[in-house]
Amino acid sequence: MSTDNHPELVRYRSEREWFKLLHSQVKDSDVPEHQLAERTLTFCLDMYNRIIACVEEGDPFVATYYCSAPELCTAMDLPWYMVMQTPFLASSVPYLLDDIDSAEAMGLGSDLCTAIRLSIYYIEANLSPIPSCIVGLLYPCDGAPMLHQVIQHNSKWRDIPMFNADPPYWDDDRSLDYFAAELRKMAQFLEQHTGRKLDMDKLKEAIEESNKQFALWQEYNELRRAVPSPHGWDLGGSQCFSVTQCYRAGQKGGTDWFRKLIEIAEHKVANKIGAVEKERIRLFWFDLLPFGWIFDLLPWLEQEWGAVMVMDMFGNYPYTLIDTSSEEQMWRDLAKRNLFDAPMIRQARGVADNFVNDIARIVKDYKIDVVIWPGHMGHKDGSATIGIMRETCRKLKVPFMSLGLDLFDRRYATPDQLKEKMSEFFRAMGLG
Amino acid sequence: MTGTSFQTFTEAAQGLVNPALQSWKAGGGKVVGYFCSAVPEEILVAADLLSYRMRATGSESTEESDAYFSNINCSFPRHCFNLALIGKFEFLDGVICLNSCDHVRRLYDNWKRYVPTEFVEIMSLPRKTGPDQVAWYREELALLKEKIEKHFGAEITDDRLKGAIRLLNETRSLQRELYELRKRENPPLTGAQALVVMVAGTAMPKEPYNALLRELLDELRQAEGNGGYRARLMVVGGILDDPAWVQVVEDQGGLVVTDATCFGTRTMWKQVDESIGDPLDALARYYVADRPSCPRMYGEQERRSELVRELYSEFDCDGIIGERLMFCDQWLVEHYMLDHDLKEESIPFLKLERDYVTSGTGQLRTRVQAFLEKMGK
Ligand code: SF4
Ligand code: SF4
Repeated sequence: MSTDNHPELVRYRSEREWFKLLHSQVKDSDVPEHQLAERTLTFCLDMYNRIIACVEEGDPFVATYYCSAPELCTAMDLPWYMVMQTPFLASSVPYLLDDIDSAEAMGLGSDLCTAIRLSIYYIEANLSPIPSCIVGLLYPCDGAPMLHQVIQHNSKWRDIPMFNADPPYWDDDRSLDYFAAELRKMAQFLEQHTGRKLDMDKLKEAIEESNKQFALWQEYNELRRAVPSPHGWDLGGSQCFSVTQCYRAGQKGGTDWFRKLIEIAEHKVANKIGAVEKERIRLFWFDLLPFGWIFDLLPWLEQEWGAVMVMDMFGNYPYTLIDTSSEEQMWRDLAKRNLFDAPMIRQARGVADNFVNDIARIVKDYKIDVVIWPGHMGHKDGSATIGIMRETCRKLKVPFMSLGLDLFDRRYATPDQLKEKMSEFFRAMGLG
Repeated sequence: MTGTSFQTFTEAAQGLVNPALQSWKAGGGKVVGYFCSAVPEEILVAADLLSYRMRATGSESTEESDAYFSNINCSFPRHCFNLALIGKFEFLDGVICLNSCDHVRRLYDNWKRYVPTEFVEIMSLPRKTGPDQVAWYREELALLKEKIEKHFGAEITDDRLKGAIRLLNETRSLQRELYELRKRENPPLTGAQALVVMVAGTAMPKEPYNALLRELLDELRQAEGNGGYRARLMVVGGILDDPAWVQVVEDQGGLVVTDATCFGTRTMWKQVDESIGDPLDALARYYVADRPSCPRMYGEQERRSELVRELYSEFDCDGIIGERLMFCDQWLVEHYMLDHDLKEESIPFLKLERDYVTSGTGQLRTRVQAFLEKMGK
């Protein structure tokens, strides 16, 4: 079928082309990191191909958010894509800024998280593949439930069944039981609206595989403690997250990807090869990376200041390895992983203690010299936690810096402005 | 309005503390502040506490709170926290927050750490409105009840809870009577005056408030009313507790006759069901499922939009103003959807952004004037 019959695939096809281009650039490289990137891009292209094929052939597929127990889709052999895919996975596409402007022209004010604005735009402009059903998320931020309400409000999406697990605010047993029950309902919902059955043995298998992935991720995190750190901003939390949440949750290919990652890091650590030639500052970037303009800022940190992003918000979390010995326990642990452990959900959904504890743990474990709160304009809960973070860092005797930027729009705070601010701060703190 | 009741209400709405609250405190009574209209005032009242809806009336700066919040945070919690830091909420014996939005739930974290209020709690309100969520919130209510009993040494029996439900239902129905009068062709009170009455109701003990409101209603029933306005307006939004803002709108000739806001119909358009045997069940149902919801409740947009349109026609409005505090994601997207719905029915809609503290009203005036003119009024 031609694209004309599926206008909702226009962006999706261009993204696929974009990733094909990126893939061709690393395909034949001898550099181990590039070889790993080649695998990640292959996963990514595979996902695009599957979704496009489902649309064209009328097969069931699911639109999801992140951290909505993707092992369920794996166990049910359901292709899925993330509603916020473009801003998070494909934000390097050349049309991102134009899309941000189109979102604003649509009447979406500029103080709303750009990721939400863009995702709303793609729904409203009919640029997101329309799935068989939607598994959404009502957290971690106020934007998420609003995005899902726009989906419900949109005339083309209105009749697509949607399930959102309701997030309790606490981190206790009662919340776990409640959320596990919500996840069970989510599984029933998927069965009902995709015609696929959930085989509990298959779920167990997928979860055991994702356990392996998370265990390997932890192993990799241990390697990042090394001085110098084997990797900086360009390899780490974001890729691990995309493999475990978006591309290969509970699938063997994902586990192999982690093995390769560890192999690369082990070699570097053993030979004391760092992310940069001379590591001068070890920084903790406590947020997502500025995906929309990453190359305008992060390489500079390394080149100019020898500042290595040893850890970021998506890097190191106490992911619960799920006990699969009983069904009951499996659901509970799955709930814990998705509600309490997963990065961003963990901090932005919950009480501020999670910010405090994560900073304390990472500063200590990773010999951090400076904590940077980038302050994405969408992260209003975090921005209301700056006093608490500053105090935490003061107690830990580590400098804390709050920036203020838009992860996707380099016009909000320009790379030059940010560079100046950071340089001034590093100098004042006697860093680097 | 000439009677003393409106004067008392004005005093209560214009400052943080008012004589009724002061005499309550002087008599040994305790006051507990709460953020968000989904916090069950009934439980506080049943514990003999004065329930006080949090606002930052009179705040002039956010200088102190700027070290804790940033410039992408809503000005409402920033002003509230500033007042807390400079000791203006010392009259509070407790504060109850809700995970109502990203800004207010962090206000809890900051309050708990940096303000020496003895009793600081937060409740977990679901994002959905089904039976499981009602059951969850019932547990939250039971937990809150227990904590209040323990901290304040109160005994909250079912009878006391039922009494509080009755009392607050009475407040709500009196307030609806007040709104009924605003349906008149010449409403006997302006939108700014109505807001004064509503705000006062959140800062005084309920019995004297109800008595004064009855007096006021008697006076208003006989009153002649306001004519000569250019258009009848409705306001849709969140925390609007500042009559001065409504006054600026009305100074341009538009009379505000109804609303869907957090100090307005959202708190009183529905009653708690007194026929439900277990009072906590009744409260959980009311706060999660029955009362007019706010944008944070998923799956309710259609119902919210319908209510806006119902009120619009019941009060014979000519146009709607959507007010939103800057950096509020919930209201931004809600107004975006409402805009679509209203366009379909050709209902004039003006979206306005504002700061919690009303200042520099020039732009507001111009926008409202242009809106009235566009409506041909
Ligand atoms: S505010 Fe953060 S958590 Fe929310 S959508 Fe934006 S990027 Fe995601
Ligand atoms: S106006 Fe919005 S952001 Fe501000 S306190 Fe209310 S819900 Fe939160």
